[in-house]
Amino acid sequence: MEFLDALVTSWPTLLKGLRVTLLLTFLTLFFSVILAAIIVALKMSKVRAFSAFATVYLAVVRGVPLIALLFVIYFGIVSIVKVDAFTAATIGLSVHSSAYVAEIFRSGINSVHSGQVEASRSLGMSRAATMIRVVAPQALRVVIPALVNQAIISLKDSAVASFITVDELFMSAQRLSAATFQPLTYYAIVSLYYLAVVGVMTYLSGRVERYFKKRG
Amino acid sequence: MTSPSTPKTPSVPTGQPRVSIKGASKSFGDSVVLNGIDLDVEVGEVAVLIGPSGAGKSTLLRCINGLERLTAGSVEIDGVRLQYREAALNRMREHVGMVFQSFNLFPHLTAIENVMMAQMSVSKRSSADARERASALLARVGLEDKTESYPSALSGGQQQRVAIARALAMSPKLMLFDEPTSALDPELVGEVLQVMRELADDGMTMVVVTHEMRFARQVADRVILLADGGIVEEGAPEKVLDNPESDRAKAFLRQIESGG
Repeated sequence: MEFLDALVTSWPTLLKGLRVTLLLTFLTLFFSVILAAIIVALKMSKVRAFSAFATVYLAVVRGVPLIALLFVIYFGIVSIVKVDAFTAATIGLSVHSSAYVAEIFRSGINSVHSGQVEASRSLGMSRAATMIRVVAPQALRVVIPALVNQAIISLKDSAVASFITVDELFMSAQRLSAATFQPLTYYAIVSLYYLAVVGVMTYLSGRVERYFKKRG
Repeated sequence: MTSPSTPKTPSVPTGQPRVSIKGASKSFGDSVVLNGIDLDVEVGEVAVLIGPSGAGKSTLLRCINGLERLTAGSVEIDGVRLQYREAALNRMREHVGMVFQSFNLFPHLTAIENVMMAQMSVSKRSSADARERASALLARVGLEDKTESYPSALSGGQQQRVAIARALAMSPKLMLFDEPTSALDPELVGEVLQVMRELADDGMTMVVVTHEMRFARQVADRVILLADGGIVEEGAPEKVLDNPESDRAKAFLRQIESGG
């Protein structure tokens, strides 16, 4: 019953950490989607310099471990402008995730039949209008499961922010474990927190998918 | 067929063809699909392209609205030469409707939204105006009771009629049909051909790629038989279909007759 006691007594501390983790995950998702949309647009651009930039961006971001990226941004930015750890973590996680979201977007766009683009362009609609009004809405449905998956990865990745002193969920567990000398208990408990959040996200994505399926 | 969208023919110098194709050639890599085609389509004319598969019929059609880029030669619409810059293409395509073999309706939109889309996005009509026009056009193709249906809930013939209405919404002065009935179950072909027939009766200039010989015979002003990237025979339907001169045409027509 010690475990249950620990579960109950750690609740206020971990809840604070959970709030930070959820906010960090949400911001990561938000900014990585925007970044990814920009990267995909650059990648598909007819201007060589733009698409080359996107290619390099994707290669670098995917080729560097998240923790290295985070350290580079944290210590790099801190030496130029004063930012707090939370901001640095948001930037690092967003940049990291954006590479994967960009690939998800690209595969979604490629999944839309070329006849859709031809039909739209044949009506006199511009490339941009075709992308926004015809391709993107169809691609979005296809990519929702992959996006949710990426969101789950970002949620778990956010634990790395503890390395640059962000007081998030994992950090809270670390402190509890250090104070009580019961690492197993608190790391098990914090794992349950992550599991619960992932469970909720999976459930919601199922609902969203079903909603789109009904609309044909 | 009532008034909602009787095609408005802009004033064009007399005798100027709606479409004028000169020396059109198209290659994909090493394979030559069109080999120096000359073809004029007059205002109000219904030109039907027939020929064996691989003859280049669809490619020729797609070159008219710039979906494919000519390797050599030129296409003019009302005397304006087709250019491949995006802005010029968009402006030209506003006035050239296209109907595809596989319909290509936007699956995330209802029938009426499909017909409203370009009106709002390209012609900048208000939602209310676009809806009014779309609903008149859907009624015109006999689908007034399907306006709120998604494409997935419509039969092939119904989808193709929505696609025709979608193209008509832009008041095109030229309609291109790329095998519009080839993907349809046999019993659904008639309803689409009927809409096309009415369109032709209304004076629409049309270029139609089809395997429907009965349609060609009844509706075409001119039948053009393509084979191996060139025109082998053209003229009035009776002439091309019943009294072809070239051996290539005779062989093709024998083939379709025996094939049903």
